[in-house]
Amino acid sequence: MSTTHSALLTKSSLRRNQNTARFAASVSLGPITNIVMIVLMVTVLGLLYLGQISKKSSYGYEMNEIQASIAELDAKKRDLEIENARLQALERVKTSSMTASLASPSKTDYAQ
Amino acid sequence: MLDIKLHRYTFLRVMLLLIGIVFVMRLFYLQVIKHEDYLMKANNLQISKLTIQPERGEIFAKERGVVVPLVLNEQVYTLFADPQEVRNTSEVEALVRRVAAKELVDDSLPLLKNKKSRYVVLARQVTYEQAQAVKKADIPGVGLQAGVRRVYPEGSMAAQTLGYVNGENKGQYGIESYYDQELTGTSGMLEAVTDVRRIPLTVGTTGVRVPAKDGDDLVLTIDRGIQAKAEELLKSKVEQTKAESGSVLVMDPQTGSVLAMANFPTYRPDEYFKVKDYQAFNNAIINSPFEAGSVIKPLTIGVGLDSGAIGMNMTFNNTGSVRVDDRTIKNVEIAPTNPATNLSDILRYSLNTGVVHILQQMGGGQVNRAARDKTYEYFYNRLKLGQELGIDVDGEVPGTLIAPDKVQGNNVRYANMVFGQGMDVTMLQVATAFSALVNGGTVYQPRVVEGVRAVDGTVTSRQPQVLTAQAITPQTSELMKYLIREGRIHGAFKGLDRGFYVGGKTGTSQVIDPKTGEYTDKETIGTYLGFGATTTPQYVIMVRVNKPHIGGYSGTTAAAPIFNELSNWLIDYMMLRPQE
Repeated sequence: MSTTHSALLTKSSLRRNQNTARFAASVSLGPITNIVMIVLMVTVLGLLYLGQISKKSSYGYEMNEIQASIAELDAKKRDLEIENARLQALERVKTSSMTASLASPSKTDYAQ
Repeated sequence: MLDIKLHRYTFLRVMLLLIGIVFVMRLFYLQVIKHEDYLMKANNLQISKLTIQPERGEIFAKERGVVVPLVLNEQVYTLFADPQEVRNTSEVEALVRRVAAKELVDDSLPLLKNKKSRYVVLARQVTYEQAQAVKKADIPGVGLQAGVRRVYPEGSMAAQTLGYVNGENKGQYGIESYYDQELTGTSGMLEAVTDVRRIPLTVGTTGVRVPAKDGDDLVLTIDRGIQAKAEELLKSKVEQTKAESGSVLVMDPQTGSVLAMANFPTYRPDEYFKVKDYQAFNNAIINSPFEAGSVIKPLTIGVGLDSGAIGMNMTFNNTGSVRVDDRTIKNVEIAPTNPATNLSDILRYSLNTGVVHILQQMGGGQVNRAARDKTYEYFYNRLKLGQELGIDVDGEVPGTLIAPDKVQGNNVRYANMVFGQGMDVTMLQVATAFSALVNGGTVYQPRVVEGVRAVDGTVTSRQPQVLTAQAITPQTSELMKYLIREGRIHGAFKGLDRGFYVGGKTGTSQVIDPKTGEYTDKETIGTYLGFGATTTPQYVIMVRVNKPHIGGYSGTTAAAPIFNELSNWLIDYMMLRPQE
């Protein structure tokens, strides 16, 4: 047994009917190490937070791109609607070759 | 030695402590006391308020119940360049000339060489297809800015009724002005943290998003087919007779809905900036009151019958003229003189003496205050002549109908009023009153907007509004339909209606010569007012041709042909069946 181990097995550290053994680490951390660990943990947490925030911010760009796509499709749809309206405009229909080949009825009558 | 060491060590500790305290106090000052100030500065830099523009509502007409577009919004672009980013000026010039030569802004290309500038507009109103070609070229330094413009697929159709939208996106004239608020919608707002390019990010809890409310899409009562036909016939006749201008109004007498409102000369709403004569913007049907002439005679007869002053069997001795106070009122033509002239003859021969006789009967045998009061009661209070009717189009004016208690509202004036002179009324007022004469007696408020169109295409229609529930009785209305038809079929238009139930009256009113201030026969306004084509009238048409250069009475030779052709066309268009 090591000195440390045997030193621990003192009367005050034992209880009746209990076979307990305390194992202490052979290496103990000093205050400076503790501070460094804490700083590292805080840094890691901070970096995690920054990462999350950046990811959240990037959603804004993604949304912007999607909205731009929607606007583009909307513009295309509107363009087609207007083209459709222009093609069906009365003046255009009247001057079309198909209309030119039609004849006005000379008489309109009704079945009794 | 140790004392000195300890003393220095203590001094160092105290100094470090003091420095620490200064730091803490400074941090406290910056982060606690000045917190709001710096927060505000940070927000001002980071948070942007962006306005979300609403889309202007579009306008549709109907064509036999099917909704068709009249006014749409088109996405257009402003093509610009940043001279500092442009590497090859020739490439940009070639692109613009190839893709958007017509839209090219004058003298803009040389500005590309000015490297101090960051923004040069190269072309405006570039269409979607042209913009795609620019994007495909992918030239550095060239960009597109989106915008919207109004387009009119039907060209100049119903231009005065529609109005136009100016460069500040404000409606001018017509429906665009009257319904400007409803069509504009409500802007939305986005308040959020943005990056340097003002793109909203999703960080922060202070984001506010209020969506924009787009303008209402309106569906009109106007029928595209009827409007086009009315405009075609009007243009043809005005040009043929070298008239100054003309108008045609078609209404549904059973609801007050306007089916067509045509004016000539006209203009293209998408080229409003090219108009030199601002009269082209005016809708003469609602804002050009005039002395309507003999088309008022059916109203006078209706008033006489309804008030009980005369009966259907009334006859009078027509001598060609009648004396009222110190004036002599004559018929346009002396003949025919007949001691047993009846109501049908009054309309058939357009006898001024006949309607003056009716006015006399309303006064117990002479034109007096009682006769004037009764006429005013019917004309103004019931039939709404001489006042705005509240049509939902901008620019309506009331006209003038002088009350009988005024000095100018004397016997001679009222004797002129009963045949359409001595008062200024608009075509809309006359047609609306005439509609009441033939629909059973109800004066409907004329309207142009049927309702609002939802996103899914359904139309929420508005109910017709009644101005006077019973201006005349249904019995009087039946008698008037008969008389008006009799006046037509036994007059100059015999045999033109193919057996359909059509009635109407011509009007040829004198105009005042501005040089002399007197009425002149050299220039007249020709009108025709009629209904058709079943015993429950489906349409009322009023035609007005201003100062035509044509022989004969302009109501008969200039206005009536438009009515005849339009009425017969409507019979086929509406697929009406003859009734006898």
